[in-house]
Amino acid sequence: MGDDMEVDDAPLSPQQEGGAASGGANSAKVAAMQTHTKATAVRSIEGWIIMVTNVHEEADEEAIQDKFGEFGEIKNLHLNLDRRSGYVKGYALIEYPTLEEARAAIDGAHETKLLDQTIQVDFAFVRPPPGKTSGRDGNGRGGGGGGRNGPGNRNRGGRSRSRSPVGRDD
Amino acid sequence: MSAANEPFYLRYYSGHSGRFGHEFLEFDFRVLGDGRSATARYANNSNYRNDSLIRKEMCVSSLVIDEIKRIIKDSEIMKEDDEKWPTKNKDGKQELEIRLGNDHISFETAKIGSINDVTDSADPEGLRVFYYLVQDLKALVFSLIALHFKIKPI
Repeated sequence: MGDDMEVDDAPLSPQQEGGAASGGANSAKVAAMQTHTKATAVRSIEGWIIMVTNVHEEADEEAIQDKFGEFGEIKNLHLNLDRRSGYVKGYALIEYPTLEEARAAIDGAHETKLLDQTIQVDFAFVRPPPGKTSGRDGNGRGGGGGGRNGPGNRNRGGRSRSRSPVGRDD
Repeated sequence: MSAANEPFYLRYYSGHSGRFGHEFLEFDFRVLGDGRSATARYANNSNYRNDSLIRKEMCVSSLVIDEIKRIIKDSEIMKEDDEKWPTKNKDGKQELEIRLGNDHISFETAKIGSINDVTDSADPEGLRVFYYLVQDLKALVFSLIALHFKIKPI
């Protein structure tokens, strides 16, 4: 099993805003994949995952199903509970089979009310920004991409786990 | 979208070394340069019965990060101190490191078997905050992994 996140679609370098020279169909798809903060969504193994936040603590799966079922077929729903209170933690993760359904849910439900609370809705998973595919902060940890195949790489002879970014941040 | 550009880093580790070698679970979230996304990494090494190291990396949207920040802020973990928490022992340790805006915590404590360990500790209120926050964060990470990769992380 590969470690890396599979991107099922043919890479279409959507980060060049608006897909510049590409054709109409492509740029429409690119637009459909945009998050509110202009990152580009990625497909997960079996579909598109959206996150819903500010979910009322007394919401139940039926309430989520009622609201989000109208945008498409909900393949999976995670409505996690607060471990301390037993009430809903405040977010939901929803899987739709197609980009169109996920897009419709984001467009149709973002900043609308669910049980009297205004919810936020967006894609959960996005592509890494250009030039940041695997390395980070230019410190050559290589945590992202290559060089991490063997377990020995990391945890032999005293853990040499990644250090925190303390003092390295700008 | 509150303070979208405030620095944010989260890392949790729980592990021990024993007859099955170094077994651990670790995840971290690191906001990428422009604040529009963050990388999340997850590793789980269990040598019991089957020798398998699971490593996953994914990039999550700013809404996911906003929610993690919200969970952290609501927990008020940033006000706690691990000074009186049980120290690591032969059963292993847990580490929680969070940088959020100008606040930074780096806690280390023993593994917590049950809420009794919390109640019996020298700082039950602080340790309780830690105990439940860790469970809530793990639940979120496991859901993200399960949905994105279609695997059961544990």
